[in-house]
Amino acid sequence: MSTIVIDTCAGEDQGREALAAAAIASLDLDVQMVVVGDEDEITSVLDGLAHDAERLRVVHAADPLPENIDPRDVRQAAPRSSIAVGLEITARDPDAIFVSAGQPAAIVSLALQTLGRLPGVDRAALAAVYPTLRHRGPNDDPFALLLDVGATIECTSDHLLRFAAMGAAYASKISSVERPRVGLLANGNNPATAPLRVREAHYSLRDRDLPFEYIGLMRGDQVTHGEADVIVTDGFSGDVLVRTLEGVAATADALIRRAEARFKWRLGVQMLGGGIAKLREFTDWENYGGAPLLGLDRPVIVTQANSGSRAFVNAIRLGAKMQRLGVISAVAEAVMTSAAALGEGSSS
Amino acid sequence: MSDWMGSGHLLHLRWDLDKTYLRTDFDSLKDLIKTYRQKAEDKVAIVGARSLMQALLDPHERRKRRVTFISGSPTQMRAVLTRKLRLDGIEPDLFILKPNLSNILSGRVRSIRGQVGYKLSALMRSYVGATDLDELLFGDDAEQDAFIYSLYADILAGRVDAVQLASILGACKLYRAEVDEVMSLHGRLFGTGDAVRRIFIHLEARSPLDRFAPYGARVVPVYNYLQAALVLHQGEVLRARDIVSVLEAMSVAGYTPARLANSVQDLVRRGVVAVADVERLAGELAAVETTRGRTVSTFIQRLRSTVADLQHVRRKSPEWLTEINYLGLYHSARFRRTRHRFLGIPLLD
Repeated sequence: MSTIVIDTCAGEDQGREALAAAAIASLDLDVQMVVVGDEDEITSVLDGLAHDAERLRVVHAADPLPENIDPRDVRQAAPRSSIAVGLEITARDPDAIFVSAGQPAAIVSLALQTLGRLPGVDRAALAAVYPTLRHRGPNDDPFALLLDVGATIECTSDHLLRFAAMGAAYASKISSVERPRVGLLANGNNPATAPLRVREAHYSLRDRDLPFEYIGLMRGDQVTHGEADVIVTDGFSGDVLVRTLEGVAATADALIRRAEARFKWRLGVQMLGGGIAKLREFTDWENYGGAPLLGLDRPVIVTQANSGSRAFVNAIRLGAKMQRLGVISAVAEAVMTSAAALGEGSSS
Repeated sequence: MSDWMGSGHLLHLRWDLDKTYLRTDFDSLKDLIKTYRQKAEDKVAIVGARSLMQALLDPHERRKRRVTFISGSPTQMRAVLTRKLRLDGIEPDLFILKPNLSNILSGRVRSIRGQVGYKLSALMRSYVGATDLDELLFGDDAEQDAFIYSLYADILAGRVDAVQLASILGACKLYRAEVDEVMSLHGRLFGTGDAVRRIFIHLEARSPLDRFAPYGARVVPVYNYLQAALVLHQGEVLRARDIVSVLEAMSVAGYTPARLANSVQDLVRRGVVAVADVERLAGELAAVETTRGRTVSTFIQRLRSTVADLQHVRRKSPEWLTEINYLGLYHSARFRRTRHRFLGIPLLD
């Protein structure tokens, strides 16, 4: 049985949504919940929620995390923060999964300090999923995996190669795609115009026999078409890209709401109601769960800061699925296999 | 005996059957038929209930203990239910079942589903003439056990007078004959003694805990019977070795030490049990010889780490309330049921 360690100091409504999700999961899922946060607050909120106390343990950790703190100083500034304590519990339990909506930089920094890295991995990658036009695998999964979206801001070509291997292994397990199609995000399809690290990674991936299918360089507009199952980039570009995509979806939604508010347009919008609802469902990030942090020996899932209980429950489900399918060991194996296939010849 | 049990008194245990002692599904007609047709051998007790009951009815204490089952099951099931209890080694002193056939024949449709009139009068009838008695009541959250049991306790304690009771029974839409019976019993029992020590509500439906807060400390919602056993141990009704037998039964049924320790933590966080009591219990458990030593020692280990997690907790125990707004509680429960029936809003929300 998986142990889900959940940080209740972050997320919508000051972490209460995370707690609501933990309560739901204790009732509906075959998991053991460890809820980390201010015990006093947790107990008073839990009193009003249907939950299964047999499957829920509370661990007190209430050091507030200063905002905009240098991620390297987090442990010193708040040694008993919910993230630090949650990750320590996760490190001690081989079946544990950590879920948090806290500051991603703080989570990444503390996770790298507390948890073990997989052999051959020196940088972790945050992997976000995004819905695309093309569906994949036997489950007709519409999501493509985009990594890294913020864990490693400065990347070398070696890091990109590891990310490709980790992302492909993850997609192959979670979406049941036998040979995932992997693309490298670039400013065009011509390698000559790409930055050096991307160019080097491109040549290394193109010339080798790998357990995934490398489809070459990809422009930003090709991401949503779904040509690739896994899109690899550095943390800086990935973060910018994923936030741009979310911003576009939010703007489209705001425009629809504005149209709904205008009397003249209301009829037209209502006629499109079914389609709009589907579009909203398709682009609603709360459905995706969260972004797993790959490269560590325990699953860590980072959800958005304004996550509601639905997003947390989906993140918990994702974590339990990762544990059940042995995603971490598959990622570790893929990194080793790819390292052997690529040799040490890839430039750094 | 501790201060919450009368010294040398007879201890009367009152148990509901379905969802309190027996694992029963009667949420649909199909379940109801299945339950009705089930043989005694196929009926399953809720994990830990049998061990707890056996500990409470220890042969050395048996002459000072009395057990009554009051069930909403029809009288036609008496033979099979009695056989089931016998298989579990339990011989009730009194076994009251609901006369559903006569309710149907006399056209009292509301009485078939309703519990207030039936259970309240059954509790009161079986108390008449009792003296020097302490009572422990066991029910569940699927029906209105907390409401009925508390009302009964407050009638005995002289806190619900005839006027208040009449308005409560009126709101519950009882038939005239039921009201007359309850009111006449009220006349005989009002203020005869504050006999009900604790009301344990098995959270079969996992209802939120704050739903039971208006009843005060007398009502103790429990997720499992280890929790009930711990409270009874704190009240010195059970010994450490009784806790061990409940623990062993739950462990055999698949409860992990972590799950059991979480149950203890829940009681500590609610203020029902103090951290010091858990520490004392861990010491006492360690001294008990067991057949499943490993299970108990792992549990003790977990218990100690749970205590360490909660060293900072200084929670005030829930208060014992002397005034309960029964009408308000009845109407809010009814509102939840109506909302569920017509708007589909889950009962647990």
